[in-house]
Amino acid sequence: MNELLNKLAVAIARGKVNQKSPFPPDMKGEFGADELTKQALEESVAPAAILNDGLMIGMKTVGDKFESGKAFIPDMLIAAKAMNVAMVHLKPFFDSGEVELKGDFILGTVAGDLHDIGKNIVRMVLTGNGWNVIDLGTDVKPEQFIETLKEYPNAVIGMSALLTTTMMQMETTTTAIKEVSPDTKIYIGGAPISQEFSDKIGADGYFPDPNKFAKHLASVV
Amino acid sequence: MITLNKNYKEKIKLRIEPIGKDLDVIKGTPLIDKLFEYGIEFPCGGKGLCGGCKVKLLSGDVKNHEQYKELNCKLGLDSDFRLACNSELIEDTTIEIPQLESLILADNTAFTFTPLVGFGIAIDIGTTTIVAQLVDLSSSQVLGVQTSRNPQSRFGSDIMSRILHGLTTAGSDELKKLIREETYSLIKLLLNSKDINLKKIVLVGNSVMHHLFCGLDVQPLSMFPFATTNNESIEYSPVELDWELSSEVKIIFVRPISSFIGSDIYAGIIASGMDKHTQLTALIDLGTNGEIVVGSSDRMVCASTAAGPAFEGATIHMGMSAMSGAISSVNNNDTRIDYHVIGNQDALGICGSGLIDAVSVFLQNGSVDAGGTIVDEKEKLRIGDRVFLTQKDVREFQLAKGALAAGLQILVDKLCKSLDDITHIFIAGGFGNFINLSNVTRLGMIEVDQSKITKLGNSALIGAKMLLFTDDYSLENSISKIEHISLDSDENFQDIFVNKMFFNNYISNDIADE
Ligand code: B12
Ligand code: FES
Repeated sequence: MNELLNKLAVAIARGKVNQKSPFPPDMKGEFGADELTKQALEESVAPAAILNDGLMIGMKTVGDKFESGKAFIPDMLIAAKAMNVAMVHLKPFFDSGEVELKGDFILGTVAGDLHDIGKNIVRMVLTGNGWNVIDLGTDVKPEQFIETLKEYPNAVIGMSALLTTTMMQMETTTTAIKEVSPDTKIYIGGAPISQEFSDKIGADGYFPDPNKFAKHLASVV
Repeated sequence: MITLNKNYKEKIKLRIEPIGKDLDVIKGTPLIDKLFEYGIEFPCGGKGLCGGCKVKLLSGDVKNHEQYKELNCKLGLDSDFRLACNSELIEDTTIEIPQLESLILADNTAFTFTPLVGFGIAIDIGTTTIVAQLVDLSSSQVLGVQTSRNPQSRFGSDIMSRILHGLTTAGSDELKKLIREETYSLIKLLLNSKDINLKKIVLVGNSVMHHLFCGLDVQPLSMFPFATTNNESIEYSPVELDWELSSEVKIIFVRPISSFIGSDIYAGIIASGMDKHTQLTALIDLGTNGEIVVGSSDRMVCASTAAGPAFEGATIHMGMSAMSGAISSVNNNDTRIDYHVIGNQDALGICGSGLIDAVSVFLQNGSVDAGGTIVDEKEKLRIGDRVFLTQKDVREFQLAKGALAAGLQILVDKLCKSLDDITHIFIAGGFGNFINLSNVTRLGMIEVDQSKITKLGNSALIGAKMLLFTDDYSLENSISKIEHISLDSDENFQDIFVNKMFFNNYISNDIADE
């Protein structure tokens, strides 16, 4: 059984979606994340164990490699694809409450900015780490963050910006959110951002890398 | 016993006329390295084919490669002329550079025009440099050229930081004043207090330069949906700009095509003649904004791919611009890596052309895999003793080349064509002159056959000169044929971008090695 979850972790980390998928070439014909998750459920492995000891381990493996530069954006996206097919099988257990997620996370690229590739990677890593990520997409206005926060009052918020001009929106948005909900934690990221900037605008932290960020969240929540 | 210090480098003196510059140069330095820093153009890319870089020897001599003697003869050069692109400095020498007197710039190429009376000045306002040339409107002859650094650079090197500074009225006024004053000083240098019949000044530049020069609000350009405040050609009289010139002089800043595609690109289109081709051609600017235009005479599409400044050596750990001390080319020589340093001195860093070569070399010798990962993580990618590339540098390169290649792919798709249908690609921008095209294509920065690519040199300036001969600056007829494609609203961008980050042309190599 443990063997099966190990296999699942490898399938996620290497981006083996299902048996049919040609990638990666050296895993041709082997079961992918799709079949392995189904099999685990059929063998009555607890869904929480599948998430913790399969998916999350796989995502952490590729996330660590990405953090050190040994893996790159394509590797992250293909791993996320594998993770998503596995998630489909687990979704009913999240919905029913049988598997408890780490919490809600509201994510978006700030107003005026449409760069979303970095933000998408953050979503994948957090999902793979057991967060319920509500992705508001790009060009997200402060009001949209606040509206969504009403629905998920305990959520943590993450914002992304890639432009020198739109990073200023982070300040506006942070101020607006903190005004209605001072205790909500707000984290920021994106190529032009720094910890200094985060301190200046009153956000709760900056992370250059999603994997580091996930580890931090795990330690504070 | 006397020991010779191997590192001692003998210095010689070089004097450049007609500007009267004296330089101390390390013996053995290629002349091209020194002149490159002084803004001299090498029209054929330094291949010894065009004669555009000829210099006259006033004293001393330089060393030439054997095979070029024949070429000198073919080009009909007198015995006291040498090709700067093929000369090594070996003794105290004085040279005179015809380019600095009557410019034989890259744009010596003929174009059809209706001769006019008087003189004109064509100016390319770049984010980093301004180039202006004086043109005889009766013959289209270039009589002089002046360049300088864009003084706005102190507020940041990229357009977004300029926009940021220009968001306040005070900031915007300051940027406007700086650029107008600097442009005027170039004009004065060109006119050299001669009383000539100046008729017209045509300026081109990217949309942000257009807005800042014209004092237009840049706020709409600062965030989505990225609109121009005013998309028209704007005409001035000299008093309006505080320029002391005859009130007859007509000054026009040519309109942008769209929010992030400026008149510098429009000038490139007409300089390349792609608007006249019935077959599919493309124009690519390898600069920070990575503008691409694809199409034929009846329809064109364009986009700004935002590749970033990696190809110019910025964002690279040991990156620097193409000046003394920069590694400008790298070659794989079986067991060792050969490289060339501008100025024949110790290497301090690497510039864009060197980076492109280096990435290719490390892929070829298997130090980097086709996914861009350094194979032996303990090894740095060394080029010589001091300079190396990091894993992050390769990643930066991948982001830039992925964005550029994805942009070209998406534009071609928009026209329902394939990359193979492109008959010709023109590379805009002076930077393009020094890059090794075989590596550009092999790395997949531009995915067409190398034989289809031509380097245009400063195409914005060439086009601006051509624009001196029009009357209708609304450009409605031609610009209406150019459609701007927003890559940010393209659903497939991410997938295509990610795919284009791989170095597929080196994969067979890897497998063979295994
Ligand atoms: C791809 C790209 C685009 C694509 C965007 C497609 C898309 N759907 O996202 C397109 C072509 C559409 C585009 C357009 C523009 N772009 Co652009 N673009 C880039 C490019 C090449 C790569 C950006 C990227 O995706 N990086 C990869 C991701 C994974 O990295 P990342 O976003 O930084 O994210 C990582 C971390 O920062 C972190 N992170 C990110 N967000 C968050 C959030 C949290 C909470 C945390 C914890 C972490 C975190 O995690 C991620 C993974 O490690 C860069 C240049 C470059 N070489 O970097 C320019 C760049 C960002 N763009 C730039 C510009 C100016 C533009 C334009 C405004 C103008 C133009 N020249 O075209 C337009 C307008 C875009 C718009 N409407 O918003 C500039 C910004 C300059 C500046 N100083 O502001 C850059 C730097 C290029 C340049 N010219 O120098 N662009
Ligand atoms: S001959 Fe063309 S640049 Fe030297």
